[in-house]
Amino acid sequence: MQVKTTRFGVVDIADDKVITFPQGLLGFPDHRQYCLLEPGEDACFFWLQSVDEPALAFVLTDPALFFKEYEVPIRPEQAEALSIEKMDDAQVFVIVNKVGELLTANLQGPLLVNTLNLTGQQLVLADKRWSTRHTIMQVGSEQTTAATA
Amino acid sequence: MLVLSRQRDETIMIGDAVEITIVDIRGDKVRLGINAPAQVAVHRKEVYEAIKAENRRAAEANGSEFGALSSAIRPGRRAGLSPAGRIGQNNGSTGSNGANHANEAPKPARPASAKNDTRRQAST
Repeated sequence: MQVKTTRFGVVDIADDKVITFPQGLLGFPDHRQYCLLEPGEDACFFWLQSVDEPALAFVLTDPALFFKEYEVPIRPEQAEALSIEKMDDAQVFVIVNKVGELLTANLQGPLLVNTLNLTGQQLVLADKRWSTRHTIMQVGSEQTTAATA
Repeated sequence: MLVLSRQRDETIMIGDAVEITIVDIRGDKVRLGINAPAQVAVHRKEVYEAIKAENRRAAEANGSEFGALSSAIRPGRRAGLSPAGRIGQNNGSTGSNGANHANEAPKPARPASAKNDTRRQAST
């Protein structure tokens, strides 16, 4: 299928790659179908692009890349809601934001996706260790200065 | 909005399955106990609203700030879920159909950061 996007033009994706969020994302309940786009080889940031709204897209990352101690507790009924039978079939993403010169990750509202049936949900974590803005790195306003270990 | 007066240890029912009990009242603070089926999500509203607001803000990113970064850092691992398509310089030529990995087979997923949680989240 062809997905129209305001950022990347028309992108061709396979129909079986569409990720469905039955409840949408928080604040966007009407947009339930997305696809994951990769900016390049070995990218650590992805775009979650709405299939039906060209202007709606989020930058995602895999939190395991940046936050070693971060874990998302998944209750049995949450796993059941997404038909997740084993944790190996689950993938967690977090939404990335740019706040001033910082890239931040929303660890309080992670996205949980069943990678087998491509169904997902945005969770709300009660754990006070996680907030909506955890710094990933600083990005210079004039040129990119990616901090590397 | 329905407004009810309740004293300590009194309860209201919402439907058949949700019970809210006034556990304690001290000054301007009320402690509530909530009994609800596991499928019913119970959150503090401000947490929910904060995530909503952050989502809205994140949706406004135009991408220029992330484009350079994605190639600048390579921790060597990537998300297990295979992307639906690739976007890049050659994206503008949308004539051919296979240009964006439409036929790529799904790859096995990595467990990432998910773990089983058998507890019901404690109400605080």
